[in-house]
Amino acid sequence: MTGAVSPEAPLWLWLHAEDNVAMALSDFTQGSAIEVGDTRITFADDIAYGHKFAVRRIAAEAPVIKFAETIGVAKRNIDVGEHVHVHNISSLRAGKQ
Amino acid sequence: MHEFSAFEVDGRPGIRNHVVVLSLNSFCNRATELIATAVRGTLPLVHPFGRNEIGIYRERFERTIEGVVLHPNVHSVLCVGYEPDSTGEFVERVKGLTAKPVDSVLVLEGGTMNAVNAGADKAIWMVIAASEARRRAMSGFEGFVFGVKCGGSDATSGVASNAAIGEAVDRIIEMGGTAIFSETTEILGAEHILARRAINEDVAKKIYRAVEANEKMAMDAGIDLLGVNPVPDNIRGGITTIEEKSLGAIMKTGTHPIQDVLSYGQRPEKAGLYFMDSPSAASEVVTGLSASGAQMVLFSTGSCNPVGNPISPVLKVTSNPRTVARMRQHLDVDISDVLTSGTSLRDAGDRIVDAIAAVADGRLTTAEVTGHLEFAPIPVGL
Repeated sequence: MTGAVSPEAPLWLWLHAEDNVAMALSDFTQGSAIEVGDTRITFADDIAYGHKFAVRRIAAEAPVIKFAETIGVAKRNIDVGEHVHVHNISSLRAGKQ
Repeated sequence: MHEFSAFEVDGRPGIRNHVVVLSLNSFCNRATELIATAVRGTLPLVHPFGRNEIGIYRERFERTIEGVVLHPNVHSVLCVGYEPDSTGEFVERVKGLTAKPVDSVLVLEGGTMNAVNAGADKAIWMVIAASEARRRAMSGFEGFVFGVKCGGSDATSGVASNAAIGEAVDRIIEMGGTAIFSETTEILGAEHILARRAINEDVAKKIYRAVEANEKMAMDAGIDLLGVNPVPDNIRGGITTIEEKSLGAIMKTGTHPIQDVLSYGQRPEKAGLYFMDSPSAASEVVTGLSASGAQMVLFSTGSCNPVGNPISPVLKVTSNPRTVARMRQHLDVDISDVLTSGTSLRDAGDRIVDAIAAVADGRLTTAEVTGHLEFAPIPVGL
């Protein structure tokens, strides 16, 4: 794995520097905060284990990047610390009819 | 080099020594089950198919049951057929392809109970002959085919357990083995990465064509793939889109070039990495990988899918520490320390290869012991 990993027992996983989302390895509650590099991220939502949160602001229609690849597009503006999931991003491949 | 032993069956290494009682169609299931109940040491294979299928359904069914008979983990086969013509035709054809004992009984000759009596009389001697087969020492994975599958995926799968299986797949291929991955829906959104790894332009085109046909099937059925895949347990586990699931899924393919695209149940011709074009439901995929000759299936799981297979041991690997706590009885290799304490994927891959050698040598998997022997020979779906 590349990118940033929190030390010791990791609480989150940021795979690649170009990714704009990271993955929770803990259950975070809304309002709690972590330090990612020099940035302090305050969670805008509850983030369950394995779920994604934005580490950069993602504008509406902009690609959501994980594994250094596009995994979908934002349905609306997503702020740093927001839960990123089916409610605010959509697949570019599914439901093309 | 890992040391283990295997049976030799038609020049291929076998890691189990099954005596199979194979139902050739649904109303032979009863006789098949009763023979297997009467004769200890037999393995009954039953299913709801075998009559009047057409097209792709018939092709997949035939390749699957032929793959069972020829499988290196199978010592001998008693086919339970209904009438003489189709049964005789199948038995004669497979006998031309293998030196192993293959015999048959007919339900139409005196009814189910008489078929049970005749079949039990034959199966007894098959089991005794199988008990005399001996393993011999193996070095490396030459002649071995490994199926690779992920199921019950969550967000830990792509970043850790699939990636560690990818390390193991690389190691297996470097030791002369073959690996087959599958699930066309689950390369959707990652096909450009796989196509770049194809050995030539022709194979790259086959990868794109398989994905296009899969998307067309979804559209023709009026299905939004997002409603089908990721499935609800994937979404609960943090996977949002099919692209994200696919990018995680292909981590289990390692880094070697892709030799070819296989049909469901088709046997690879050479060593190396192959893609099998198939639907993605676990029992159906594992059945197809086994029919392709895979002696074992490596199965990466997040939330945990308990699926197994009657012929090929299914080795379960997870990297989710919560799943280890909840579903230990369905897991074989715990690599959750990749996420909890930073164990490298290479070390985790080594532990998977160690477990592969142990299971090849005869150690049972949790799927075998819990009796998960799912056999699903006609997969059509997404």
